[in-house]
Amino acid sequence: MYSKLAFRNIRRSLRDYIIYFVTLTLTASLMYSFLALGFSPDILAMTENMSMLTSGILMLSVLVALLSSFIVGYAIRFMLSQRKKEFAAYELMGMEAKTVRNLFLVENSMIGGAAFLLGSLLGTGLSGLLNQVVQNIFEVPHHYQVLFSLRALGMTLFFFVLMYGFSMLRAAKVIRRQKVIELLYDNQKNEEVGYQPLYRSVLTGLLSLAAMVVGVILLEKALHIQTNEAMLYWSGACLLILAGVYELHRKVPVLLYQLAKRNPRRKYRGENLFFLGQIGRRIQFSGRTMAVVAILLTVSLATMFVGLTMGAGYKANMEAYYPYDAGVAIDAPLTKNSMDSVRSFVEERCEAEDSVTYYLYAVPNEAIEALALSDYNHLREILGLSPVSMSDNEFLIHCDTWNYMDGTRQRLEQQPEITLNGRTLTPAETPILTEPMEQYQMAGTKGYVLVLPDEVASRLSGEKIRLVMKLEDSGYPELKNELKQFLNSGKWQPDIQLGQGLPERVTMGVTVKAWGVANSLTGFTTLSFCGLYLSVIFIILSCSVLAFEQLSAIDRNQKNYAVIDRLGVSGHRQASLIRKELSTVFLIPLFFPIVLTVLLIVGTQFFFGDAILQEGLVLFYGLVTILLFCAIYLTYFGATMFLFRRVILRPEMR
Amino acid sequence: MNEVLKLEHIQKYYGNGENVTKAIQDISFSVQEGGFVGIMGASGSGKTTLLNCISTIDTVSAGHIYLDETDVTEINEKQIARFRRENLGFVFQDFNLLDTLTTSENIALALTINKVPAGEIDGRVREMAGKLNITDILDKYPYQVSGGQKQRCACARAIINNPKLILADEPTGALDSHSSQMLLSTIQSINETMGATILMVTHDAFSASYANRILFLQDGAIFTEILKGNDSRRTFFNKILDVLTMMGGGVNDVL
Repeated sequence: MYSKLAFRNIRRSLRDYIIYFVTLTLTASLMYSFLALGFSPDILAMTENMSMLTSGILMLSVLVALLSSFIVGYAIRFMLSQRKKEFAAYELMGMEAKTVRNLFLVENSMIGGAAFLLGSLLGTGLSGLLNQVVQNIFEVPHHYQVLFSLRALGMTLFFFVLMYGFSMLRAAKVIRRQKVIELLYDNQKNEEVGYQPLYRSVLTGLLSLAAMVVGVILLEKALHIQTNEAMLYWSGACLLILAGVYELHRKVPVLLYQLAKRNPRRKYRGENLFFLGQIGRRIQFSGRTMAVVAILLTVSLATMFVGLTMGAGYKANMEAYYPYDAGVAIDAPLTKNSMDSVRSFVEERCEAEDSVTYYLYAVPNEAIEALALSDYNHLREILGLSPVSMSDNEFLIHCDTWNYMDGTRQRLEQQPEITLNGRTLTPAETPILTEPMEQYQMAGTKGYVLVLPDEVASRLSGEKIRLVMKLEDSGYPELKNELKQFLNSGKWQPDIQLGQGLPERVTMGVTVKAWGVANSLTGFTTLSFCGLYLSVIFIILSCSVLAFEQLSAIDRNQKNYAVIDRLGVSGHRQASLIRKELSTVFLIPLFFPIVLTVLLIVGTQFFFGDAILQEGLVLFYGLVTILLFCAIYLTYFGATMFLFRRVILRPEMR
Repeated sequence: MNEVLKLEHIQKYYGNGENVTKAIQDISFSVQEGGFVGIMGASGSGKTTLLNCISTIDTVSAGHIYLDETDVTEINEKQIARFRRENLGFVFQDFNLLDTLTTSENIALALTINKVPAGEIDGRVREMAGKLNITDILDKYPYQVSGGQKQRCACARAIINNPKLILADEPTGALDSHSSQMLLSTIQSINETMGATILMVTHDAFSASYANRILFLQDGAIFTEILKGNDSRRTFFNKILDVLTMMGGGVNDVL
């Protein structure tokens, strides 16, 4: 009986339930997909420390469940307020408060259950996509495959019940305790409108702005501090910025509203008076909520941008840092034979498909090293690049570091010819090549290298020796330590070139791609995914709050729009006013988060742009962050607008 | 005197097929410029439906309504808004003031919608507030003032654009007797001193006695009509009671 009545009630109150249902479904879907990813045996098997991802997602899920429980509570309070009269009618007809409460709980359980099931289904599909993204980051051959995990489903159910149950219990308490008279006349309570004096709003606004500026200065300082003190600066900066965002969102809209109302020309233009009244009420009664939403959005956007950029930035650098499966760099004038035992050591452990031992030659009077063309082409072959050719009196420059590119070009324009050992060389047809070759250790040590004909290079002094190997299955992470131990164990006996001596300190480096992936990429992947998980959920929850805020005032708004309809405002103008009102409500909490995110993007580009070896990456992920955010935000905005227009405008006006 | 409003054989049906409800059967009448016409009748007699049709909120099933020379029934959706803001003023039982605006802003709203220059608005609002004795509450929000003051504010909003016709739907319905009396005096004064044409729907004989002419509706048709002429308000009130008794409403429909 209850379930039948509850089902009918849901159908009838679809307008109120739809945003709530969508939010619950999306939350369940994201929670399941990320948990499934964190529990996936394939993903966990990728590297030994991949369990970081599982821990991160689990911890964030607790946070998400807690935060969602507030939002669910908020949504349930909204629905309760929408249906108080209906519940009063049930009680007036003789239904016990307990029965009314059960009816509401059955309705909500149905919605929650449906949202969980649909969310899990969508989450299973989404998990396949996330799986592909992770596999793509780790450059593992992949195809779309959904991740089904009973453990993830169980955990999602647990968190879902946690966030839902808490709010349901509170709602049940409210229904049980409220008297019929309160249910009947709750909507008729007067709402007092009052604002701070203008000077106080201005003062608080300025103080908030100052707090934000101090926060940004502290952030900048924290970037230059290498000790634990930096954490203090970071925390202080974040606190000041978020407090500034909160207060500014409380004060700026009030200030703008008061200023607009003081100016008769603006106030009395078109339907501005009506619009200002509508917005004034929102600012007055939802100002705090909108300010909290602004904080959530700031955190979401920053988390998403930092997560995505760090992940992608590191991946971009990985290409340049670890292009070779294994490499040994010794800054000493050793003979090439010295590397034979090193190669044999590696070959005993994993089969080598190819290898090359070469020198980085010192160029007299120039801050650049040189590679022989044959060695350079061998390296290119190992990397799967086509060989290059040039005549005996030409040279080229390889520069895979974009921030040195302009300087290199300028130098070539100013001094196109170089003379080495009495031989003059001109730039090759393609004078600069840019493919990632790792130019801080292996194919150069300064971010660029000069490529010379073999005959010219052989006359230079080979002061640094390198060994690069291409291994079957790309080697394994432990190879790095094994190789280091071998080089330092005394078993390895290097020979020095005739007539050369060892420098005072010999720099020795070992690079193994598998180790790089295992120990570094994992951490950054975890950061990216956790950032994405948290930020998307935060955005969804923030949007839901805004939608509920607007929909909770829908009945009052319906009355207000009916008044201006009778006063002669056309349907077209009413639709335009609704658009303006909703846009303002959705834009108010967005202003400073967007400004701060743009500042963050610009600041990241300024401070870290040079360190990321892919041009435009920071701006690209800044754009991705803003677009992804806009997609979610606009979806909620559109849904709210649709519901709002449907309720408020007469059918012929819609 | 010119005919401001003219209704010709108005009919309004709801539903279709066998479930047709006839809210208005066949009503024709006209109102002279400066007239104060009351429409009375029991619940379901068609008073509010008639008012809604005249005010373009609802459409007629048959017949024509002319306001001045304009056939209201022929106005399309796009022209309705303009028609309303230029020709009609509304006063409702539940005031229909916006809680989001102060009293003066509520009055000004009608002017802004009618695109009156911003520089004129405050002066006109103050002038109208003076006439309706609500100057003291101009900066207050509707929930800060009494029901009678709210309704006078609604009257000010309805007449500030000098509409051709003011439509009042049970304007005293939510007021106590003292406030009702004050409001009716105000409406009467608007009619007499400003020459406004008023059509007031009411089921209250006391309120109706302030009008100059009463149309009595029964089952969607005009049952009868009476004119005040040179009678005193008390005499006219007694005549109204007589008609109501004749209609079968009895004492219950009197007050």
